[in-house]
Amino acid sequence: MSNSLIIGQYVPSDSFIHRLDPRTKITMIFLFVIFVFFANSAASYAWLTAFAVGIALATKIKIPFILRGLTPVWFLIIFTFILHLIVTKDGDILFQIFSFPVYSGGVIQGIAISFRFFLLILVTSLLTLTTTPIEITDAIESLLDPLKKIRFPVHELALMMSISLRFIPTLMQETEKISKAQASRGVDFKTGPVKDRIQAIVPLLVPLFVSAFKRAEDLAMAMEARGYQGGEGRTKLRELKIEKRDIFSFIIFGLVIIVLFLLRV
Amino acid sequence: MQKTKRQSSNLLKLIIIALLSTISLVLLFINFPLPFLPTYLKIDFSEVPALIAAILFTPMAGVVVEAIKNLLYVIFTGASDPVGVVANFAAGTLFVVPVAMFYHKFKGKKSLISGLAIGTIAMTLGMGVLNYFIILPAYGAFIGWDTMSIAVKLNTVLVGVIPFNVVKGVILAVLFIPLFIKLKPWIEQKKATIG
Repeated sequence: MSNSLIIGQYVPSDSFIHRLDPRTKITMIFLFVIFVFFANSAASYAWLTAFAVGIALATKIKIPFILRGLTPVWFLIIFTFILHLIVTKDGDILFQIFSFPVYSGGVIQGIAISFRFFLLILVTSLLTLTTTPIEITDAIESLLDPLKKIRFPVHELALMMSISLRFIPTLMQETEKISKAQASRGVDFKTGPVKDRIQAIVPLLVPLFVSAFKRAEDLAMAMEARGYQGGEGRTKLRELKIEKRDIFSFIIFGLVIIVLFLLRV
Repeated sequence: MQKTKRQSSNLLKLIIIALLSTISLVLLFINFPLPFLPTYLKIDFSEVPALIAAILFTPMAGVVVEAIKNLLYVIFTGASDPVGVVANFAAGTLFVVPVAMFYHKFKGKKSLISGLAIGTIAMTLGMGVLNYFIILPAYGAFIGWDTMSIAVKLNTVLVGVIPFNVVKGVILAVLFIPLFIKLKPWIEQKKATIG
C-alpha cells in the first residue's frame, strides 16, 4: 500500500500520450467527460469506446495493469447494471428472475450506463497513469492562472501542493517508522476495545506532527536563504510548452467529437 | 526588517499547511470501514491535521488542508469517484470550521469539547441536507439513476449518512481531545513564534 501511495498510479514510458503536455491531457479529459453524456446510440458508444481503448493502447501500458487500476469500480459498474435491470420498466419482458420481470429497455439502459461509467473511469485513470503528480500540479497552476485576476492565490496553492507531494514518501516512511517504534514498546493498534484502539493512535500522531513542524521550519529557512520571495518573477525548473503533438491531438480530438455528433440519433 | 519578518512567517505558514495536508493524506489512506455501515462510508483520521491547522492558524487554514488533501487524492487515485471527493471535502469543512471558530472565540479545553460537539452536529446535519439535495442526486446522475425516489434518499440519509457522521464525529473527538491535551503547550509555543 505504501508503495502505491508513493508513486501514485503513474507508469513511466515514452509513449506519445506520456509526452503530451499535461494541460492538453487535462483539458481533453475534461471535455471527454462532458461529451460522454452526449452519446445516445449504440454506434456513438462504440465510437467513444474505440477511441478510449485506442488511447489506452497508445499509452504502451500493459492492459492488465490498466484494468487492475479499475478494480475498485468494477463493483459499482455491476451494481449500476443490476440497478437498471430492476428499476427500468420499458419495452418487452425478456425473462424473469425470481419472479422479477426483466425488461428489454432495462437491459439496454443498463448496458449503456455501464459503458458510460466504464468510459469515464478508463479515461480519467489514463491521466494519472501517464502523468506524474508533479506534472499535474504544474498543469493546474498554469490552467488556474486567470484566477490571479480575482486575487485567488494560485501560486501559493501550487507551491503547497508540490511541497505536500514532495513529503508524501518521507512522511509515509516516518509514519511506518513511528508505528513500528510504538509497537515495539507494546502499543496495540489491532485488538482491544474500540476506544483504546482509537487512542493508541495518539502516540503515533504526536511525533508525526512535531517532526513535520521541524521539517517545515528547516524548509522555510532553506527557501528564505535561497531568496524565495513568492511567485512574482520566479522561473521554473520544468517549463510547460505546447508542442506540435498537442495541436495534433486537439485536431484528432475535435474530429472524434464531430463523428460522435454524426453518430447520435 | 519588519517586512522580511512577516514574509518569512507567511512562508513558514504555507509550508506547515502543506505538510499538515500530507499527514492528512497519509491518514486518509489508513481508513477502515465500520462493520455495521455500508463500505463507501469509511472512517479515517484525516480531519485531525486539518483541525490542528485550523486551531493553530485560522479556520480557513483548516479548509485549505482539506482542499489540498482532496486535490492530491484525486491526482493520485484518478477521478473514479468525483462525487465522493467533493463529499469528503464538504464533510471535513463542516466539521473543522465550527470547532476552530468555537475554540478561537473561547479558548481552553472545555470550549474544545463543546466545539467538537458542535462540529459533529454541524457535520451531521449539513451532510444529511447536502446528501439529500445534492450528493445523492449527483450520484444518481453519475450512474444514470435519475429516478431515485424520495424514500430511497431519505432511507440512505437516515440509516447511512446521519449515524455515520455522528460516529465519525465521536471517534474524531475521542482521538482529538487526548491528542490536543498532549500537544497544547507545544501548539501555544508555536503560535507565539509563528502567528
